[in-house]
Formats: sequence, structure tokens, C-alpha cells
Amino acid sequence: MWRYIVRRLLWVVLVVLIITALTYTIFFVMPPTDPAVQFAGKNPTPEQIAEVRRQFGLDKPVWVQYGLFLKHIFTGDEYGWPGFGFSFVTRSAVRDQMVDRLPITIQLALGAALVWLCIGIPIGIVSAIKRRSLLDRATMLTALFFVSAPVFWLGLMALWLFWYKLGISPGTGYVPIGTSFGNWLSHMITPWVVLALLYAAFYARMTRGNLIETMGQDYIRTARVKGLPEWKVILKHGVRSSLTPVVTLIGLDLGALLGGAVITETVFNLQGVGQWAVNSVFQGDLPAVLAVVTIVALAVTLMNLIVDVVYAYLDPRVRYT
Amino acid sequence: MGKRRLRLVGLALALALVAAACGGGGDEGGDTGQASQEPQRGGVYRTATTDFGYTNGFDPTGEYLGAAFATYNALLRTLLAYRFVAGAPGNELQPDLATEVPQPTDNGLTYTFKLKPNIKFGPPVNRAITSKDIAYAFQRINTKPQAAQYGFYYFGVIKGMDGQAKSADTKISGIETPDDQTIIFRLEKPTGDFGYRLALAATAPIPEEVAKCHTKAGDYGRYVISSGPYMIQGSDQLKTDSCGAQKPISGFDPSKKLYLVRNPNYDQATDTLRKNYVDGIKIDIDTNLDDIFNKVESGALDGNFTDDPPPTVLQRYSTDANKRNQIHANSGDRTWYITMNWITPPFDDIHVRKAVNYAMDKQALLRAWGGTIAGDIATHIAPPTVLSDKLGADYNPYPFDENKAKEEMKQSKYDTNKDGVCDASQCKNLVMINRNVSPWTQMEPVVVSSLQKIGIQVKPRELASSAAYTTIQTVKNKIPIALNAGWGKDYPDAYTFFGILFATDGIIPTGNTNYPLVSLTPEKASELGVDIPAGTQIPNVTPDIENCQKETESDARTTCFADLDKKLMETAVPWVPYLWNKVVYITAPSVTRYEYDQSSGEISFVNTAVNNNATMS
Repeated sequence: MWRYIVRRLLWVVLVVLIITALTYTIFFVMPPTDPAVQFAGKNPTPEQIAEVRRQFGLDKPVWVQYGLFLKHIFTGDEYGWPGFGFSFVTRSAVRDQMVDRLPITIQLALGAALVWLCIGIPIGIVSAIKRRSLLDRATMLTALFFVSAPVFWLGLMALWLFWYKLGISPGTGYVPIGTSFGNWLSHMITPWVVLALLYAAFYARMTRGNLIETMGQDYIRTARVKGLPEWKVILKHGVRSSLTPVVTLIGLDLGALLGGAVITETVFNLQGVGQWAVNSVFQGDLPAVLAVVTIVALAVTLMNLIVDVVYAYLDPRVRYT
Repeated sequence: MGKRRLRLVGLALALALVAAACGGGGDEGGDTGQASQEPQRGGVYRTATTDFGYTNGFDPTGEYLGAAFATYNALLRTLLAYRFVAGAPGNELQPDLATEVPQPTDNGLTYTFKLKPNIKFGPPVNRAITSKDIAYAFQRINTKPQAAQYGFYYFGVIKGMDGQAKSADTKISGIETPDDQTIIFRLEKPTGDFGYRLALAATAPIPEEVAKCHTKAGDYGRYVISSGPYMIQGSDQLKTDSCGAQKPISGFDPSKKLYLVRNPNYDQATDTLRKNYVDGIKIDIDTNLDDIFNKVESGALDGNFTDDPPPTVLQRYSTDANKRNQIHANSGDRTWYITMNWITPPFDDIHVRKAVNYAMDKQALLRAWGGTIAGDIATHIAPPTVLSDKLGADYNPYPFDENKAKEEMKQSKYDTNKDGVCDASQCKNLVMINRNVSPWTQMEPVVVSSLQKIGIQVKPRELASSAAYTTIQTVKNKIPIALNAGWGKDYPDAYTFFGILFATDGIIPTGNTNYPLVSLTPEKASELGVDIPAGTQIPNVTPDIENCQKETESDARTTCFADLDKKLMETAVPWVPYLWNKVVYITAPSVTRYEYDQSSGEISFVNTAVNNNATMS
């Protein structure tokens, strides 16, 4: 297994290198605007543009720039490790902003994942067992509604209802857990639920479908014939096997959410990584874009690796090769 | 160039309704009239913005964003400043650190200022401000690595300033500080608006003991030391023992917040311009625009800041009699215009440019922006407030008239059959740059159909704001026509329009803002690697600008620039100016006195009062 993990880790490095090289090419070699001109101010002289280009490190050949970028990631730069340079917009270290923002996104993603798993999987199981019942139809209809509802709409509606009308939510923003646990929780619970509803609905439908299929397998019939209690047949033999695709999915979803919870972050004013990435693209803040891409690429590839390892554990038919 | 981010306006009909409801009202010329008596002091002005958008990391040496200027007015004091109120009085120069607005001597070449005594820097510096601190601010501007974003207002103007100094230690020969209370500026040439240049935030005193550690452009933004009534919260915790000990001041995080608290060293007796009613100012980042206005409506915030209210919000306020007085619309001193490139046919022909002016349906463009609450139709280059209304409200050289447009087109070489419609191939498939957001996208069909009537067919290219600007700012791109351009004053003098936008020296290969290339000489064209179409006469107004710039007497100076505006509009025709926009604020009932700062084009933090129990914790 360890050989497998090491080999996969090398693949992770390669994938991240390819992704950063592509991002570098897109944003630094073919930028939508010239950052030096954009950030040199109003009516800049050629000398000012050249000076800004020098300060941004854009005066060097592209391969040198990319080499320095890689070097700083591994060895750090003047702002610490890993070295992501400084933001063209805030003129401060990208690393510090990443350290500030990444925990917010991680909290959002993990909290939401917990919520959607706690809602989605039990609903999927119950729905599969009580197939074609009123409960099944009601839950699946609700799931369809939430799968179809855009997150921004759900978020705005939740804010309108729970903050603006009922006053039971503190509204938007983020409070660090260290400041006040209660305050932190009350600020996070609405975005968690809003983000989770979409995924919970999807997971419920997926769990239901998988479980229905699994419960029709021969080994389930064998388990029943052996005289196992029904709950054991469902949970030990049915659910365990039907959840393996769900594990794959959660790994990918969590990885993607680290960079992709843009709308939830924007609506709830959670200054996380996704929203930062989008703003940075619009503002031409290339070092920030590159930093987010690197971290997200790393997260997604690592989550893939973890998923594959866990997959083999859950499904004895899968081997580490 | 967009100082204030314009996310204004979406649904034209909704806004037209708003405009009708407001009757084009607002606060022009003063506050809401909510309180004629002196409002109570205390409370905290709480606001939020979707993004600070600073151009130089809030480092005053290079920062030029209007929102930053509005904040600096609470944080920094300059030799000269403004009253920080709305309308024409808000554009008049006043002494701030200086004892008076001096008259230049030596034929307009020397300005001598005396500083008011007993004005101190805020914590942790805590010492008296001297003339050397002002000189140091200029030395920073003059430093090459600072790439000061409006250094051009000083380079070649003050003797010894060229922006090439290696470090801020280098003294400037044209700035003398004979004693701690006196500073003398010696100029290369008479510069009538020099006083205004001394009111820009870059010239506010900077303590060397802190700023010497921040040598690159934008570096000082998180360490700005107060010289005004407020300081960045946490300034007193800044360690100045060594550069290594300095950590960013906690009250400013560019991605989260900017909090200002009272500066304990400030002496109100030295300041007649600022009332400083509130105990603190909280500016938070809130990425959800709707949330900002919901919070204003619920009273969780006292007002918006830099983000224009969405149409639905304006509609809600304007149709509710109880809320109508919470909308404030003031002149933004900014012109929005369609620019035409003189080296790209058919716009090398003045008759075509005149025809475009006559053909443009500006009323429809104004409706796309949201009607009269969003602004007024522009009929010439500089906004009326900047020209002290010298051209008069009736001045409109190109009233909307399709027949006159066709008459002009008939005189053009591109209308061969003289039917008033361009029939030359040069009028087909012309690239028109535009922004990809409202209201520009709403304006686009109006412009396209207006141009079609005179035979000009454009292909719109919609880009993000910054990409749209950099595209038209690159001379070699030779973009024929663009809809995305706007220009606001840096300070209330017409030179900030004409001197920057139409002089030969202002034409640069990239970052160029003289989009039509007015005053382009054959030598300059050769230097830029572009050709002037054969037979095209490009008027050079550089001597006119220089002539006006020499004038130091205010009225004569403004008249000179007003005449130049008229000359450009009638004999050169570089643009189709279509809008002088207004800046719209919504406040909560907690605001007992709203004041607009005409000089920065944003709320006047120092003259606005609230009645709330908020604290800075």
C-alpha cells in the first residue's frame, strides 16, 4: 500500500505542476490585461510602467518567472513558506491572505459536508427501504427541489427569512471560533445548511439509487437466507457496499469546494478562498490567482488519493496496484 | 478612468421610475437639511463596501482612488484642503496645516507656507509635525521605486523633481524648509493649480521614522500614521524601534476592514474644516451588495460606501415617503463619453465626428443609466462644477437632431453620394470597445442604432472594465470607437481634464488616456509607430493648455479652460460626452446629518453625524 501511496503522491506533484504551468501560461503569458499598466496608475509614464513591471517580477523571461514561482513554493520567499509572492492589489503577502482565508473555506466545506452527509445518507437509506411509499416520494420530491434550487437563491432567501424577517440568525460575516464559539456557530450554521441542502439532496438520491440496486444483489438474498436480521442485512451488507461511490463523490466534492464555494462565500460574506479567486481574476491579481489554483489543485488531487485509499478499504474487491 | 467603481444601474425602467419619483432630487449643494442645528457628537459611522479597490494599497504616496481620498480626509491633513462639504463650496481651497492659502511670488514661481503650530502626528509617533515631514512626503513621491501614481503633477513642476531618485532620503532642490514651521516651493514654471496639488493626499506629512521601512510602491499603506482627527485603530500598538518590529496596523486589513478611531493628539482648535462628530468610522468588506443595503435598511449599517444602490433599492426608497430623504445624490464631477480615434477612418474626418455627436440619443443613454437621479446629460468636456458653470446650462453644441447629423455626414469624404449616410467601406465593421456590465450593456443598442442612422456600423466588443481600458489605452491597437470611457477630476481644477487628456505629452504607447489622440504631432506619431491618415489635420491644443495653466487668477483661469472646452467641442470634436453622473448614497435613520465631500466625490466622514450606540470594539 505504501508503494502505491508514494507513487500516487508523485502523480499529485506532476498534476499540480501541469496545472500551475497551464495557469501561469494563461494568466502571465496571455493575461487579459497588462498588470504593469493596470497597476501603474492614471496616465503612467513608460518609466513608471517599467518600474511596476520590475517590482512585480514581470520583467524577467517567463521561464525564469515560473522557475522562481516553483522555487518559492518549495523554499519560501521573503514573506515565509510557502512563498506565493505578494498581491498586486493589496500589496501584501499572498501567503498571509491564504492563511487567513483557507481556514474559513475549510470550515465551510467540512461543516457543510457533515450536514449533507447527516441529512442525505439517512434520507437516501430510508427512501430506498420504504421504496414507493409516501415518505419516499415526499423526500425525493424535496430532494429534487433542492437539487434544482440555485445556491445564491437559497442563500438570499435564508438570509431574508432568518435574519431580516425573523431575526434569529446573526446574518452575514465570519466570527473566528476563538472569539466566541456560539457566535461562530450561529454565523456558520446558515451557510452550512444552504450549501449542504444542494449536496444533501443529490447524495440522498444517489444513496437511494445505489441501495436499491444493491439490495437486489444475490449476496443480499444469501444474507437474508442465512437468517441475519433485516437491519444487519441493510446496514452491513447493503449500505456499506452502496456507499463506495458516495465516498468517491465526497472526496471530489470536498476538494472542489475548497475553491468552488464562491457563491456561498459571496452571499454570506465569508471571505474564503473561492471568492478571493474570483475577485483576483477580475482584478488581474495574478499571484493570488496562482496561489489559489495551486492550493485547490493540491487539495483535489490529494482528496482523490485519499478517496482511492478509502475505497479499497471499503470494497474488498479493490486492490492497491 | 474609473475612480469610483460604478456598479450602478441595472433595470432601466425601474430606475426611470425612481428618477421620476425623486424628481431628479437629491442633495446637490448641501446636506439633507435634516438638522439645521449642530448635531450631537458620538457614535460610530458604520459602513461596508464590496471591495476597497485601492490602486496603491492605500499608500498615500501613490493612491488615487476617490474612496481612499475620502478616508484620507479623516486620517491625514495637508497644507491646503477643502471644506469637505457638497457643491461648489466643497471645491474651494482652504488652509489646513498651513496658516493661509498663500499668493505665489516671484512671478508665480515661489510658494511659501507657514504651518500652524502644535499639530502632532498620531500614535505611536506622537511628535509635532514639521515642514520636513511634508518635504519627506515629496521625497517619497520623487522616488523611482514608489512609482507614484500622480507624480506627474509634481515632476517638472517643482524644481529638482523628476521621479528618478533612488531613495526617499534624496532632498529636492526646489523644496526648502528654513525652519520647522516654514516650507518653500520653487517651481520650474508658473502653475496656476499648484495649490490644488498641495491638497492631494500624497503631500500629507509622513514621519520618516516609520515610512523609511517601506520603500516599494504601496508598502506604507498598512502603516499610515495619522495627522488628522482619526487614526487607524491599533496605530498605538505599532512598534517603531526597528523596521523588523513593524507589523501592519491591526485596524486595516485590505481584504476585511478599515477601522478609524479618534486620534488622541488631534487638536480641534487647529481645524476649521472638519467637525468630527463621530467617535469612529468602521468600513467593513461585505461581498454581498444586497446585504449591505439590507443592513442599511435594518439599521445595522449607517450607509453605503462606494457601491451604488441597486435599482430595486432605489425604487424601494424613492417610492416610500418616509425613506425618500435617506437617498442622497450629488454631482460626481465626472464625464462619461464616447471616444473616437482620429487616426482611424472614418473618425479622422471632423464631419463624421460632428455627425456622431448630433446622431447620439443622449436621453436614451441617460435612461439606460437610470434617469436623472443617476446624472445629467453632458454637453461638453469638463463637468459644470469644475468650470464654475462658465459655459452655462444652455450650452449644447450638438442637440440630438438626425437631420443635422446627416447634413454633417454629407460634408464628409466618406459619404460619396451625399445622402447623409456614410457609404464608404471605412464605416463598416468598426470595432467598438465596451464594458460587459450594466449600464454599458444597456447603452450599447442605443449607440449602435444611433450610429446606424448615419451609416456607421460598429461591432461591439464587450470586455471587463480593466481589460476595456487597457485595450483602448494602447495606441497601437487603433481602436476606432469606444463606449467605456469616463474621466473624473483628481482635484477641482479643469487642468485635470484638459492637461491630462488632450496634451501632446500625455500621449503614451500604453496606459494612454488621450484616446482620440488630440494634439498628436507627426513626430509623436512616428515615435509611437502609428500613421496619421493622409490629409488629416490634427489640431494641437497643447499651447492653449499651457496658456491656461500659466493663469493663477482663479476666474480668468476657469474662463480660459471653458473657452478651450468650447473650442475642442466645436473645432476638434474628440468625444461624444453624454453623462455627468451623480454619486448616490443611502443612509439609515441613525444618520442625523449627511454631508457629501465634493472634493473626493464620496461621503464626508468628518462632517457626517450619527445617533447610534455603536462602539469600535
